[in-house]
Amino acid sequence: MIIERAYIKSNREVANNIWEMHFEAPQIASEYSGSGQFINILVMNAWNHPLRRPMSIASVVKGNISIIYKIFGEVTQLLSEKKVGDEAELMGPLGNTFSNWKNGTYPILVGGGVGLAPILNLKNECDTHHVKYDIIIGARSGDEHFMDHEPEKNIILSTDDGTIGVKGTVMVPLEKMAKENENPYLFACGPEPMLEAVRNFALSNHIPAQLAVESYMGCGVGLCQGCVIHRQNGEIGRHSYHEKYSLVCLDGPIYEAKDIHFG
Amino acid sequence: MKQRISILADLRIKIGNETFDNPIWVASGTFGYGTEAPDLVDVNRLGAIVTKSITRQPREGNPPPRIVETPSGMINSIGLANIGVERYIREMLPIYENLSTKIIMNIAGTDIQEYVEIMKMVESVSSVIVGYEINISCPNVKKGGMEFGVDCDMTAKLTAKLRNITERLLIMKLSPNVSDIVSIGMSAQESGADAVSAINTVVGMSINANTGESNIHTTYGGLSGPAIKPVGLAMVHKLYQDLSIPIIGIGGIVNREDVVEFMMAGSVAVQIGTANFRNPGISEDILDTLEIFLEETHRAAATELIGAVKTHS
Ligand SMILES: Cc1cc2nc3c(=O)[nH]c(=O)nc-3n(C[C@H](O)[C@H](O)[C@H](O)COP(=O)(O)OP(=O)(O)OC[C@H]3O[C@@H](n4cnc5c(N)ncnc54)[C@H](O)[C@@H]3O)c2cc1C
Ligand SMILES: Cc1cc2nc3c(=O)[nH]c(=O)nc-3n(C[C@H](O)[C@H](O)[C@H](O)COP(=O)(O)O)c2cc1C
Repeated sequence: MIIERAYIKSNREVANNIWEMHFEAPQIASEYSGSGQFINILVMNAWNHPLRRPMSIASVVKGNISIIYKIFGEVTQLLSEKKVGDEAELMGPLGNTFSNWKNGTYPILVGGGVGLAPILNLKNECDTHHVKYDIIIGARSGDEHFMDHEPEKNIILSTDDGTIGVKGTVMVPLEKMAKENENPYLFACGPEPMLEAVRNFALSNHIPAQLAVESYMGCGVGLCQGCVIHRQNGEIGRHSYHEKYSLVCLDGPIYEAKDIHFG
Repeated sequence: MKQRISILADLRIKIGNETFDNPIWVASGTFGYGTEAPDLVDVNRLGAIVTKSITRQPREGNPPPRIVETPSGMINSIGLANIGVERYIREMLPIYENLSTKIIMNIAGTDIQEYVEIMKMVESVSSVIVGYEINISCPNVKKGGMEFGVDCDMTAKLTAKLRNITERLLIMKLSPNVSDIVSIGMSAQESGADAVSAINTVVGMSINANTGESNIHTTYGGLSGPAIKPVGLAMVHKLYQDLSIPIIGIGGIVNREDVVEFMMAGSVAVQIGTANFRNPGISEDILDTLEIFLEETHRAAATELIGAVKTHS
């Protein structure tokens, strides 16, 4: 893990309030080990926002890293105003990766809201390794989607208001697909209520699932002990000071659904 | 070509019988046990590492959300999550044997007996730690949860008890959430403390206007970062005017100017806290630039800065 000053190579809005940015970050790219990992971004040097902002890595191609981000508050707003050629200071790569997706199970990838980056990254890795999968992307409305609904290619979109794809949450197509396929393995990233629904479905149907979780993060390297999540299974992670919790920055952000709970 | 002849400024500082290579330390709870960020920092360049508060038993800490960013700062309510003194002795002390930086152990407790017991356990084994920093911003269960550090008598009693147990440095870490920090500092001094450090975090709260929820699980937390720097400076300066023991300045330090200001207000050394979260190697950068500052301002030693502020009265 290193801190690297990186050039911004592109920055554009890909859907309503959702942006994609590419950085030239060869050092972080060379240490990168797989989808699920994230970087911690320092957008400006002034101290009115002391903390970096964690963002999942959406792709790594030849020394370039991309992120997909939603404008939430001031720092993501500032990020969206950055121009090509500007710099940002990145710390990374941080965290663990999705695993077991090439072990003969049938991966069903589920992304919701801005929880798209690690899922799209995993999708590309599956493509590269010729692993067959289904992918389901959920949003509140059609304007938040930047992919096409292509059921014939196993790409399913859902919207709460039904403007694109399946009407309802990701759980509607997910429950169907999980039952249609042998040996399903779920990989999910998105807002907490969605992850909780995926977790409950997976546990009650004895389907393995990995969740990419988010929690308010201070340092990203285990120093502040801020980003804890409730630990279900005492075995995972040794980085929090107590077995009741796990540190998302070091032990996560990817967890088996059975190993954590949402409090 | 002009040859620049420069003499490196002397960065060493002294507290009690202990000499530190430089005045840049890292603050308790912001640098773990000193072993977490080895890739990003050469810990041996630090003047000292003050380790995360240790209690008698391991503590799980508070439920999330534990932290939130606030303007120029952050609020934390980690709840003193820590590995407990037994693991500290077993796992951490041996690691410190191999570091050349000085280690100061921070201790927390819920009654005087807990502080005493922890210190006795550490004193009973051989170790390289050079001293203790005592976190008195902890609720005293015997006094209905009132913090030790808000009460002169409790501070005096605790300091005196601990003074009897150790000959290592004894540093009392003062809370800013008191009506008169100087009288608490005086109590620590009169009861045998070698130094005081100030300040711990300032009580704070953060609310999400959209959801109406408190952003911290425990409602209140500790504010830190540049937002509290003026509070820290004022408290250090007040202490400096009345105390004769050294003061270690803390509060929102992020660069060498902040260090210089804290030393001018009366600090012998400083601790870097929240800034480590942005960059765990920031203390090294601050150290390098402080050296240049001393050279540029023709100061032969960092100690020349101590108390050098020019006030208008
Ligand atoms: C491991 C991880 C990966 C993430 N990946 C992505 C991603 O790929 N794309 C994306 O859009 N967002 C991602 N996030 C969330 C992202 O970090 C926040 O949206 C961002 O920090 C908001 O900053 P802001 O200043 O714009 O908003 P603020 O006004 O500061 O906050 C808006 C909301 O963002 C969240 N937030 C703010 N600061 C942090 C922080 N330090 N850590 C975590 N959450 C915070 C809080 O829920 C807050 O209420 C990720 C978070 C984590 C922990
Ligand atoms: C996340 C966090 C955890 C902390 N934990 C402790 C602790 O365990 N013991 C302690 O004495 N101080 C603790 N502190 C207080 C710091 O040591 C320091 O006094 C305070 O943060 C002010 O300095 P700063 O503004 O540079 O951060 C903690 C601070 C933060 C931000």
